Amino acid sequence: MSSRIEILNDGGYRSDGRRQYELRTLTIDLSPQGSGADGSASLTHGLTQVSVCVFGPREAKMRSQTFHDRANVNIEVSIAAFSASERRRRGKGDKRILELSHTLKSTFEPVIQTSLYPRSQIDIYIQVLQQDGGLLQACINATTLALANAGIPLYDFVCAVTGGVHSTSLLLDLTLLEENDLPNVTVAVMPRSGKVTLVNMETRLHVDRFEEIFRLAGEAGKVIHGEMKKAVRDRTEQLVGAMQSIGRPLAGADAVDNEY
Amino acid sequence: MASTFISKAEKSYIQAGLLANPPRRADGRSLHDFRTISLETGVAPLSNGSARLSLGQNANGGTEVMAAVKLEVENVDNENAVDGRIACSVSCSPSAYSHLSSGALDDLQHDLTAVLHQTLSHPSLHPKNLGIIPRKKAWLLNLDLLVLADAGNIYDALFMAAKAALWDTKVPRTRSVEYKSPKTFSSASGDMDVDQDTTSGFDTRKVSNAVDFELPDYWDEGEVLDGRERWPVAITLNLVPTIHFLDATIQEEASCSSRLLFVYSYESTSSPTIQSMRTLGSGELTMPHLKDLVKEAEKYTKDMVASLTGKLVDEDLRRNQKARDRFLSRK
Repeated sequence: MSSRIEILNDGGYRSDGRRQYELRTLTIDLSPQGSGADGSASLTHGLTQVSVCVFGPREAKMRSQTFHDRANVNIEVSIAAFSASERRRRGKGDKRILELSHTLKSTFEPVIQTSLYPRSQIDIYIQVLQQDGGLLQACINATTLALANAGIPLYDFVCAVTGGVHSTSLLLDLTLLEENDLPNVTVAVMPRSGKVTLVNMETRLHVDRFEEIFRLAGEAGKVIHGEMKKAVRDRTEQLVGAMQSIGRPLAGADAVDNEY
Repeated sequence: MASTFISKAEKSYIQAGLLANPPRRADGRSLHDFRTISLETGVAPLSNGSARLSLGQNANGGTEVMAAVKLEVENVDNENAVDGRIACSVSCSPSAYSHLSSGALDDLQHDLTAVLHQTLSHPSLHPKNLGIIPRKKAWLLNLDLLVLADAGNIYDALFMAAKAALWDTKVPRTRSVEYKSPKTFSSASGDMDVDQDTTSGFDTRKVSNAVDFELPDYWDEGEVLDGRERWPVAITLNLVPTIHFLDATIQEEASCSSRLLFVYSYESTSSPTIQSMRTLGSGELTMPHLKDLVKEAEKYTKDMVASLTGKLVDEDLRRNQKARDRFLSRK
């Protein structure tokens, strides 16, 4: 009967009404954003909202940053000042932002087939619009989708999810409230090969629990992969439909609602 | 503004089109037509007021701006300061200016911030209800604007988004708390007492000895900013000698020698005031010409303010009354 918010109540429900292994609503928008981006994606995990634009492969702004045998992947993260409950302006040199972009870079460099584009640069600009836990996972999933949308060859999707442990019960896809209270770990998997590209943990977790949560997050990554694949396929079908409808007589009401 | 480089040939082609009779623009608009404007308020749930605005939509995307207001409590040190403070900042997403280096992007952000902050934090526009405890505590209004995409005419978009977010802003109600020394009883010395009057925090006529404040539970998020009709709108007149045109795309901006930015505030529709005015670009202008342009700009902003206010009232209805009706009629 306490007025404190319970992380997991006796009925097995979490503070936002989800079950233990239930993920938050995932929405994906692959329509073009930014000024002339080659690929973009806007993704929400519940109330966390991230928008990513990919430019490239293109000529690097600075020659010195290029490599003769592969493309340079440049990731810039910016967090809107109004995204969290307390206003905070984070500049480019902010430690947290540098850390986040470095983590993302090391996650995506082995996944992008950079050797196909020597002496060029791939710019990935991430804009965080709202934060409610699971920032890293949202950034990773949105970046994968934006890269796929830009037509950049990847070895596999990268699907990330956060898992936490509340005493002995495991929770998936944590909100900010849960993230602040529980030991949590973010796992990014490549579902086709089953490889793991990132495990990130900033809290302490008992080693016995680690294996369980690690496996569970891997499973959840596959579920997210299904959703992401569906979004990419739907978008592609829409574009193919729009392309094919060009030059044909209008066949009644089935004209595709296209942006091109 | 954004240094898009276009060739001499392209520049003269665009100029010739604009000067032709009838004028021709790449997207088929006439000289004084705007692109479609879409506006939505209440887009950032964690802010006190927010709006998202996009100007035109096509394959290259339009100009897209997000604005959000956040209120913070601030201690007032200066004895004769006005209640409350407004701070504006503009940040540009690198995805809107992918051709700019990070240094150039910082400069651009700084330029845009300067124009917005100077105009919107001017005392003539200052809302009266930003005070909490006179000469002790006040709200600091942070207006953050985020440029998500730039396809030309960024100033007009920024000012419109700012107006929408400020219109949408709700200031939480406060109630001041003071210590009253007991005059009749001696038992309850230094007892804390709460006034019954909920508006006393804003009452600056009588000298209050309030020391702190509390937020009473109330059914809404607070009251709207005072004088929200006053927030100005901007219009950029793009000048190609002998004519001017509105709502330029990036290519059109790059092909006209100078641009004029007017910021008008309409407290009432009959008496607008110019809050700010700048020339952008390198061209020059004669005084009589400028006088004509001021009149023209006034005419355009009048229409703009009327339709923007109409839309904002619609948005208020959509988010409050209609949402309530939908909630009541739900199955």
